[in-house]
Amino acid sequence: MTGQPIAATAHKVKRAEKPERRFLFSPWHLVLIPIVVVMLVPLVWMLVTSLQTLGETRVYPPTLVPHSLQWRNYSDVLRLAPFGQWFLNTTIVTVAVVIGNLLLCSLAGYAFARIKFFGREVVFLLVLATLMIPFQVVMIPTFLIVRRLGLIDTLGALIVPNLAQAFGIFLLRQFFRTLPIELEEAARIDGASRLGVLFKIVLPLSGPALATLAVITFLWTWNDFLWPLITIYSPSHYTLQLGLTTFQGAHQTVMNLLMAANVMSIVPVLLLFFIAQRYFIRGIATTGLKG
Amino acid sequence: MKRLWLVAPIALTVLAVACTSNNTSNNNNGASSSPTGVVKLTMWMGYTPPPPVNQSYEYISLTGLVKEFNKTHPNIQVSVQYTNSDYALNKAIVALQGNKQPDISYQYGTNMPQLATAPKLVDLTQKVQEPGFNWNDFFPGERAVATINGKVLGIPALVDNLAVVYNKDLFAKAGVPTPTNDWTWSDLMSAAAKVNDPAKKVFGMAFPMDGSETTVWEYEAMLWAAGGDILNSDNTKAVFNQAPGVRALTTLQQMAQAKDLYPDFHPDAGKSEELFNSGKIGMIITGPWDLSSFPAVHYGVVYMPSFDPGGSHQTIAGPDNWVLFDNGPARVAAAWEFLKWFTSTPQLLKDAMATGHLPTRASVEAQPGFLTQFGQKFPGEDVYAENLKNVLKARPQVPQYPRVSTALGQAIVNVLLGKGSPQQELNAAASQADGFLAIPQ
Amino acid sequence: MQVRRVLQSDHVTGWALAFPAVLLIFVFGIVPIIWSAIMSFQRNNLIAPPVWIGLENYRALAKDPLFKTSVAHSIVYTILFVPISVAGGLLVAVALNRKIRGVRFYRTAVFVPVVVSTIATAIMFLWLFDPNFGLANWLLGKVGLGPYGFFDSVNGALYSIVGMTVWGWIGFDVIIYLAALQGIPQELVEAAEIDGAGSWGLFRNVTVPLLGPATLFLVVWSTINALQLFDEVYFLTHGGPGTATYVVVFYLYSLAFSQGIAGYAAAIAYVLFGAILVLTIVQLLVGKRTVYYAS
Repeated sequence: MTGQPIAATAHKVKRAEKPERRFLFSPWHLVLIPIVVVMLVPLVWMLVTSLQTLGETRVYPPTLVPHSLQWRNYSDVLRLAPFGQWFLNTTIVTVAVVIGNLLLCSLAGYAFARIKFFGREVVFLLVLATLMIPFQVVMIPTFLIVRRLGLIDTLGALIVPNLAQAFGIFLLRQFFRTLPIELEEAARIDGASRLGVLFKIVLPLSGPALATLAVITFLWTWNDFLWPLITIYSPSHYTLQLGLTTFQGAHQTVMNLLMAANVMSIVPVLLLFFIAQRYFIRGIATTGLKG
Repeated sequence: MKRLWLVAPIALTVLAVACTSNNTSNNNNGASSSPTGVVKLTMWMGYTPPPPVNQSYEYISLTGLVKEFNKTHPNIQVSVQYTNSDYALNKAIVALQGNKQPDISYQYGTNMPQLATAPKLVDLTQKVQEPGFNWNDFFPGERAVATINGKVLGIPALVDNLAVVYNKDLFAKAGVPTPTNDWTWSDLMSAAAKVNDPAKKVFGMAFPMDGSETTVWEYEAMLWAAGGDILNSDNTKAVFNQAPGVRALTTLQQMAQAKDLYPDFHPDAGKSEELFNSGKIGMIITGPWDLSSFPAVHYGVVYMPSFDPGGSHQTIAGPDNWVLFDNGPARVAAAWEFLKWFTSTPQLLKDAMATGHLPTRASVEAQPGFLTQFGQKFPGEDVYAENLKNVLKARPQVPQYPRVSTALGQAIVNVLLGKGSPQQELNAAASQADGFLAIPQ
Repeated sequence: MQVRRVLQSDHVTGWALAFPAVLLIFVFGIVPIIWSAIMSFQRNNLIAPPVWIGLENYRALAKDPLFKTSVAHSIVYTILFVPISVAGGLLVAVALNRKIRGVRFYRTAVFVPVVVSTIATAIMFLWLFDPNFGLANWLLGKVGLGPYGFFDSVNGALYSIVGMTVWGWIGFDVIIYLAALQGIPQELVEAAEIDGAGSWGLFRNVTVPLLGPATLFLVVWSTINALQLFDEVYFLTHGGPGTATYVVVFYLYSLAFSQGIAGYAAAIAYVLFGAILVLTIVQLLVGKRTVYYAS
């Protein structure tokens, strides 16, 4: 596309941007606020329900305003259920899976994106194919494999099968392909290995994609229910989602405590997402490419 | 920095596996038989542990009994593991594949046909004939559910039945006389019509409309009361499309056409119960488990109506079972010891009074003063306990039943949605059912 | 000589980098799929020893009216869900891709539905869209519309599920598009503006083409998932009212786990698998020709 001389490395040059005037009231707020209201309705409902007494939750249509704010529901959940244990287990599993995916999917995603190796297209299609069978069908064979590895009823059962997921490979392959290849070619000519190019050039430019992968993988692992249900037996190894089922009693659901527990369990994910926003800023410009 | 990327996930995995690895040399959830002769058993049950304490009385009663057993039987130690009963079949299936099944498990009665094919399910037919166990003390409807192809495969764990729960205040306001146990379907229909008030969004009776077993089993109670059956005696043909079946479905159709029914498309979500508790529904056909969902209502419980005056008030029960899995002769013997003790009259009496569970044995109900005390402590449950004598039949415990039920459920919903006549829809469902019944199992 | 060496090491390097992930996916993804393929040729209820019956399950499938209904519903659902959620995600992402006060909060808010568990969402939507007591009909009544049956109406239930799942998943599309929008080089934007392009022209001629890879990803991903819709149907309508929302995976789950016919369910899963595979290959081939990778 070019034939022009290319810079040897990518500079992150903060170009002289148009001064972004932060309006006190940009017209975009008018668009975004209604959208946000619609999106937030469930959270509001969960919060309200979590502050009700059990009796208040038993009516229909639901009362949207609790008569009293039962903050004790939250302390009840923490005190009476091994919430801390569930939280710890889930955190260990989720952090391991996220780190594993960030690493392994970067390696594989880069290979699929940039390196022409024997069988690449077929293997990629096979990887995608694993997404095309519903989990309910493959969960029993998967269980048997995990059992043969001796991992049943350990957190390993939740970690090892998920260390690299097709989603991550697919996402990063697509993203890496959008990066200008000249940077990588230049680095290779200068003698960098493939691995070096990946870690020194490609990954630093992939902040948004990696942040996305981290958040989504975190979310799925955090919320995973079916797989822990069939592989974990001891209550001391329960994850949050499994623990929440103990609020769904044999005959009735303890809705207010369940919602309190639910609220507490989604806070970390939202927090992570909020923090990850820093990787979504505009202005990571690359320069010296399109001459 | 690069190295850290590589090391971290591996280290975390190893750490997690090591810290939490449940000595993989030990199969079957840590239960085992040690050389000193103490047999350790695992029991799966679905009663939720606290919190909150006031919702976990079933768990407390059960674990109290288990503790007592463990104390008095030092060479058999039972440990209890919570497994949500909705998922107990799934977990058992998976566990059986991996040889990690428990010794005792709570299973819905509807799971029995599928479980019956498991090689490791213990056959209890001989055991229940042991002197002193008194198998016939359990109500006939329970024994029918626990018996598949002539083999006894479970011991009744819980029994219930369907009756009509009505809102006394709504009835009084609408001028409906208090229903008595010998009332008829015309009495019920006229009560529903009087209570029904579209302006105030009050409905006469709730009915589950999702076509699932929840819909079907309510219909089946009516089918039996009308003198019909679901399948013929050797379970090869559907007979619910004969005259009694049509009569039962027509009754429902009439109520739907008169708009006296609240169609609940999501019965599992508890909407009907919540609406009933909010005074928006006059009657709900349900079981004893729901009574504690109605704290805000003055409710009464009455038998299912008969079709003709003086006719049958047959109802349906959904008993659940304790099943045993084979983990070796020592553990099977120990598990049977435990189950015998656990389901004997004194223990059941204690449990009934602590939890409001209907007694599974007739001898418990026959204890002097039981019904009065029971009814005082758990208002309405005495009616359910007495109603057990109206449970004469059980749903066919054949593997094809779920598919038959789906076809029948669709027919019922179609009629109530006005998409077909009762005879038409029941005929269609019956021919589908015949097809399923013909598939070799 | 040098060229051959480079080529050889490309194969090795490529495999070396891809190997760990591919191995994991092979062991925990491909092997179970092959296992399930075997199950589809058996009479298997997951408990008793299975019996080999060859193509019998597949033959029965071809005559199964409920299967055909499920397929039709899955197709309708996918045709509606994918374009609406992907296009909607793009528009919302563009709206969120600016430095205004509180944008972090807005973005997090848009992401909330994705985070909330399906069970909680289902319970809430059941109330919201209740034909008699729900907020939606109450609001619609105020402007003279409705009342609608939503999840309780035979004709409207599937569309109501489309609505609910779009709401629940659009945040996912938004986050992907937001990431991709960061990769659009400023020079291109500025060059286009210098050339006199208005906002719409900029959007159509610069932004959308450059988002090609992200769009391809989202279309493929959304299609794969839409055809496998399960959770929402399971928790919300259980396939009803009647069979109005029976979709393929819900049908096969009820067969496998509620009715104990896992072999037949596996056959259904394989037919679905075949369809998704073909569809994905088509999408990727189309993508190869039309998607512009900036390199």
